[in-house]
Amino acid sequence: MGDVLTSLILFWGLMLLTYFLMQNGLSIFNDVTKAMSHFMLEKALGPGIDLVEGRDGSASKAWFIQGMLWLIAASTLVFEGLWLKQDPTALHSLSAWGYDPTANSLIYASNYAALYGGIGMLLIGSSLHIMPRLAGTKLASERNATLVSFLWTLSVLVLVVAAHDSEILGVNIFLIGTGMHVLGFIAIVINLLLTISERQSALPIPGWLIILGMLADPISTVATIITGSIQTGAGQWLLAHMIGGTFFFATTAGVALYASSSASGNPLWSRSLGAATLVGALATINPIGDSNGMMAADMLGITFQQFQPSSLDSIVIAFLMALAMIPIMALAANIMMTLRGGDAFIENSDSAGITEMNLGASMLLPLAAASLFVQSDALAAAPELSGMAPTLLLMGIWLVLVPISLGAALHLFPAVTGRNLLSRNRARWAYWMMGGGALLGLTVSMMSDLIDMALIEAAVDDSSALAADVQAVGAILFYGAAVGAIMHTLNAVSGLFRGARVNTDRATSSSITTEAYSLASPTSVRKILAGGASLDTTVVPVGESDDAGSATEL
Amino acid sequence: MSEGGSGTVGEFIQGEEEPSSSWVVLAFGLVTSLALLVLHGILYPGRDLPVISEILPMFDGVFDSGIWFFILGVMGGVFAIIATMLTEATSE
Repeated sequence: MGDVLTSLILFWGLMLLTYFLMQNGLSIFNDVTKAMSHFMLEKALGPGIDLVEGRDGSASKAWFIQGMLWLIAASTLVFEGLWLKQDPTALHSLSAWGYDPTANSLIYASNYAALYGGIGMLLIGSSLHIMPRLAGTKLASERNATLVSFLWTLSVLVLVVAAHDSEILGVNIFLIGTGMHVLGFIAIVINLLLTISERQSALPIPGWLIILGMLADPISTVATIITGSIQTGAGQWLLAHMIGGTFFFATTAGVALYASSSASGNPLWSRSLGAATLVGALATINPIGDSNGMMAADMLGITFQQFQPSSLDSIVIAFLMALAMIPIMALAANIMMTLRGGDAFIENSDSAGITEMNLGASMLLPLAAASLFVQSDALAAAPELSGMAPTLLLMGIWLVLVPISLGAALHLFPAVTGRNLLSRNRARWAYWMMGGGALLGLTVSMMSDLIDMALIEAAVDDSSALAADVQAVGAILFYGAAVGAIMHTLNAVSGLFRGARVNTDRATSSSITTEAYSLASPTSVRKILAGGASLDTTVVPVGESDDAGSATEL
Repeated sequence: MSEGGSGTVGEFIQGEEEPSSSWVVLAFGLVTSLALLVLHGILYPGRDLPVISEILPMFDGVFDSGIWFFILGVMGGVFAIIATMLTEATSE
């Protein structure tokens, strides 16, 4: 049996065991375990736990703000990486300070900043708000979750530094970053498990997606370590994609399904599709991700191996990646249909996050299909599409995971903080800057990759000039994503202090008041909605007359 | 409008409050300008645009690439966030 199949079978077995234990508890050890876990989360930390507040929503707030700040760092790193692809010496002046980045090191570092800093923190922040509500209880330890956010940020900082230079003073700092990351992850998972152990009713599908997505991260790591496949290129690739398909995809799916329903006011469109997403995320291999397992190898401090799967592994991978289109399609359809409801697509103008989530859901399927082609190509002895794999990974991050996680966070922001974002207009602008910058910038970068690949294949001597010119445009267009991230963060930070309180009405930018719409002539519902009215607007018929008009007396 | 209407018609009026999205227009304009400047460099490769170190010789050898225009923009944004946090937290 191949490395991949062995690891997957162990992973599936461990996940089933986890699910069984979550449903049935630990028998006589239940109370002891709970009491000890509560103690470890708060009192065992001594005076450190008193550094943070324990009010409702304080944990999610801390994770949201830090996640948004990480998005700024990540987008800046991507921009610099894309720029250095066409101008490798642009930042050479920093070498005087001992910092000598390359395009690859910057983009590699940006992956850590975006995945674990931005997306990871936004997803965990959303989960800390969502899980207690789905379970009908309170978060087990608000203070611990708040404190752990700073540990998590520190771990991402170390990982970003390690991505540039993994050895400092002879120490592999990847391991230090991973150690802090594991510590924070365990604390969050225990916190969420304790929360749902007090659940008042059956946990809905989004709740299972979130908790199983999080648990699958350490379980998949353990599975590949126990089977020994982590030492092989196929095992490292598999671990990277298992974490991508569970912690990132399944947790994102849970958060997105919850947020799409609560933002639009519509019930979840299909429970069956939700269940298909849950089972599919765990049982298949998500194709979105890098075409090697470097991140997994580096974080575990083992030697990186090239991805050269055996024929059996190739068959298993190809089969399970193709099957992954089922949960991906199910998720995209479920999000979009839930947002849309039973009628024409109606935007909830009160929620800045809906447009972001809609962008992520729209891009999910095409990017997954493109990733499937690239990953299938990587299985070949001589891959031909590997040149575009890094850019495709960036597209998956910035056009699927970031919009969905950020959109959910923006939607949940008022419920978490008690205040709205400072400006709905600014959020709209930020959306266009961020989404447009990422889409156009990375599309142009991919064009540059394709030019590069074509010229190399044609054996052109100086293949870099044309691709570099196109790459410069791609980098500059992506800069819009950095500006959008800054605008979103500024909007959220200002909203914390000056945003309208959730229970007060806000001024609308539309000329039509939300309370009443005067209907002077027959028109369609679509036109009324397009005019700025909302679902709560009262339509007031105004009498018509064929009499000749005259000047209005004031 | 009757003759005895508002006396403000025809006069210049300046509001006291700044719309929240006004600086967004400025940021968007700045990014567009920079993008077009770089496009100029691509269209006319022999005539490179000046970088910061050419305009300010004290930064010679430091800011000698166009990327620094953009990095300084991000730094400005980050400082704006820090300033907002400080001023909002300390204001009454």
